[in-house]
Amino acid sequence: MLRSFNAILAAAFLAAALRAESYRMYASLNTSRGYVAGAKLLPSGLFQLQSGGEWRQLGFNHPLVVALDYDPRDPRILYLAAGNGCIRSADGGNTWRIMTGWEMTELKDVSVDRLQPDHIYVALPDGIGVSRDQGRTWSHADEGIRRKFTQAVRVDRTRAGRVFAGTEQGIFRSEDGGRRWQPAIATEKTVLQIEQSPGDPNTWMAATERGGAFLSRDGGVVWKPVPGVPLGSVLSNISFDPANRNRIAIAAWGPGVLVSEDAGRTWLARNERLPKGEVWRVAFDPGHPGRLYAAVHEERLYVSDDGGRIWRGSGLEGSVVYGISFVPEGKP
Amino acid sequence: MRLALLLALATATLAAENETVFRARIRQVVEWNAAQPKPADPNSGGYQHIAAKLWLRQDAEWCSRRLEALLKDPAGDMFWMFPMTAIAYLGRDQLSPSAQAALRNSWKTYMPYRGDTENHWLLYYSTLYLMAQLYPNQPGETWFTGKSSSENLREAEGWILQWMDLTLTRGQGEFDCPHYMGVYLLPLSYLAAWAEDPRMHRRATMMLDYVIADYAAENLGGLYVGAHARSDDRMVLEKWATVGSDFGWILFGLGHPLPGYSSYGLFYCVASAYQPPEVLYQIATDRSQDYTHRELKRTRNRWRYTDVRHAPVYKTTYMRRDYAVSSLQGGVLQPAQQHSWDVTWALPDPRGVHNTLFSLHPYNSLESLQEYYTNPPAILFDTISRIRTFYDKPDKLLGGSPYEQIFQDKDAVIALYDIPQGTRYEHVNGFFSKDLSRVEEHPSGWIFAQGGSAYIAWRSLAPYEWRPLATGSRRLVSPHRKNGVVVQVAAAGEFADFAAFQQAIVGLALKTTLDPAPSVRFRSLRGRDLEFVYGKPPRVSGAPVNYQAWPLFDGPFLRSEKGSRKLVLTHGPLRRTLDFNDLTVSDSGRP
Repeated sequence: MLRSFNAILAAAFLAAALRAESYRMYASLNTSRGYVAGAKLLPSGLFQLQSGGEWRQLGFNHPLVVALDYDPRDPRILYLAAGNGCIRSADGGNTWRIMTGWEMTELKDVSVDRLQPDHIYVALPDGIGVSRDQGRTWSHADEGIRRKFTQAVRVDRTRAGRVFAGTEQGIFRSEDGGRRWQPAIATEKTVLQIEQSPGDPNTWMAATERGGAFLSRDGGVVWKPVPGVPLGSVLSNISFDPANRNRIAIAAWGPGVLVSEDAGRTWLARNERLPKGEVWRVAFDPGHPGRLYAAVHEERLYVSDDGGRIWRGSGLEGSVVYGISFVPEGKP
Repeated sequence: MRLALLLALATATLAAENETVFRARIRQVVEWNAAQPKPADPNSGGYQHIAAKLWLRQDAEWCSRRLEALLKDPAGDMFWMFPMTAIAYLGRDQLSPSAQAALRNSWKTYMPYRGDTENHWLLYYSTLYLMAQLYPNQPGETWFTGKSSSENLREAEGWILQWMDLTLTRGQGEFDCPHYMGVYLLPLSYLAAWAEDPRMHRRATMMLDYVIADYAAENLGGLYVGAHARSDDRMVLEKWATVGSDFGWILFGLGHPLPGYSSYGLFYCVASAYQPPEVLYQIATDRSQDYTHRELKRTRNRWRYTDVRHAPVYKTTYMRRDYAVSSLQGGVLQPAQQHSWDVTWALPDPRGVHNTLFSLHPYNSLESLQEYYTNPPAILFDTISRIRTFYDKPDKLLGGSPYEQIFQDKDAVIALYDIPQGTRYEHVNGFFSKDLSRVEEHPSGWIFAQGGSAYIAWRSLAPYEWRPLATGSRRLVSPHRKNGVVVQVAAAGEFADFAAFQQAIVGLALKTTLDPAPSVRFRSLRGRDLEFVYGKPPRVSGAPVNYQAWPLFDGPFLRSEKGSRKLVLTHGPLRRTLDFNDLTVSDSGRP
């Protein structure tokens, strides 16, 4: 009884804190249909939503900015997972420096350790990269993972050095900053994203390529298939609603936006007024309770203020949105 | 003694003549490009034309003006970096200060994508290396990378050196590509021309010999004969229509260059314009003896669904004056553009001619693409099918298959197919050119054909039918999952007439079965007993082929052991040894 009271209290505090905080919204995307290296690139890369509702491109034009994380000590410091490597921006995205060298290519994800923000992890086609000095130097950190293709990486925000990796053969967990890894659950297909619930740090969820989704309620030790999620679809990402711990959304290729209002027990497709069900990304806005974004393939970004029941356009026409991120404004 | 002296004198004279005509070809390519901009049209003229004029030291004012105009909207990633680098070096003392500033600034304001394969990375890093060298001691904020000149140079050097070492020890990844050979020759030509570090300069020059040698031993009148890591749906049929034809002509005076020359040819010329040594000239042009040439290559990066990052590719090529037969072992060794085996026949003028014959299983799959590409799974198949429009077509004539296994001995090829039920396409395609001078279906089951002076015998292991192709050629379609092809080629000059060839082939011992696995036992025209069962190592006269012992290069002209970092080029008395262990080049038999 006391435990559940504490959890409710914690969630209430979190919700209050989220409401008090304001966020910068970023999207990483490509607007060049069928882009191949060497082709003319239409505006692509990192975009930020402006106060007037328009989107502004930051930094260089780049075809493959796919994920973003930030330094909690100074959220103006961004780390981008990009085709050219891990890119660091010290000014909210305007100026860039490629931090990795030739050894790391076509990054898939990036995650900063909230409790050791000098430590940055990146998901790579050939494993996991780690920097322990804010990106100045890098090394591979994937011992114990045989098949190394890694699409997703997340650091537990409550335990320094506890890292999860989504690979072609399942989820792996490291308790020591990536020095050693052990399998958490094997999957038939590549794990495309791993997320930790903002409301309950013990709740984790993972989306896979045509293998369904997996949920853990014990901090990522035991993972179980999520019922009611289509097994044959590419599930690109997951978003927990920071304002409602029972609400989770999944972006699915074909079925569209899937939303659960009961912490993952049942799922409903919420695609009304979306032009098609090929959805790249979903993201709850921590600054606006109930607001959910969905990026529809080569159409535009859509937004809903009622958890996906009704959608309206929100710019980024013709884009493929690889990532949506919310970064706290200013210094904490 | 006198004879030896005369021979040496003749060779020296020949070499001198070759150099004169080589330089004339270089000049021809450059001058043609320099003449292309239309004076009355301010929007006429591209980077290659600027580079050509700068090389000729012409129209510096126009070059500066045009460059500044083009740099208002840079695009093309690493394919933009290579013209920029050449212009930067050629224009050092010619471009106006404002054009030079615009050029330099573009390396700060435009971020080229580094790409996802070796030819991209070689272009990216060789040009970044040279630009960092040209603009030393400049801080990170003046470069798109955010890194200083010395950091850029170090990183670029690191990639270049590891690529060279990988290639020298385990073979090239995008190997023997009639188009992409230009993309490898060009950066090496740049480094050979402009790298100030004598070791990098030397490495690059030696690598030019290495890459050119690879082509020299496998060209037929300038055509790069199959198999290829990458080709496309046009050049796999019209073997002349490739960058390789430009280089065959530029380097050795062979064949016919492309109309207008490729930009790779032009930029090769305006950089080092490296002339291969006499031994390579002889290797490239001498087809007086028949020879088997073997090579070990590797796949490009395999990212998933395998434990092997770079799988070995075992290539065999049999060269004769009238034709070449070339193959690799089958399987999916490249994502979409693999060309696994073919016969190429020689022609005095191959322009517009489909002088080739081959078979394949038209395979495709998302998983196969994912092995090589890291793109998101939801769109990868569609993306590739959009770029490579042939990829998901049943009549495609390009691409590897996991259900294809190939064995070659001299000019006999056996290709076997065991296609599981439910595979997207369950048939085998054979390409029969419109340019075969005859095709006869013989009651024995053999199909006899003639291309140029090559007689070709084809035996399908399963029933087939003919379908027309839009190009005027024909597709042999055999809709049977267990399948195979036996091909034997010979020179017309070996036989009194076509009938005699047919008679000789029909008389050869041949036993084929399809169940439980496709298999062939064949006494080849060369008197060799070939035995090949799908899923098992092929045998020649009872002995299994030892793929483990496959050398990096092996043949009368090129020899290199795996891991040795050493290549020996030989032709007659001429011998050049490239030893990358200590960066030495030793020549013997020189006049």
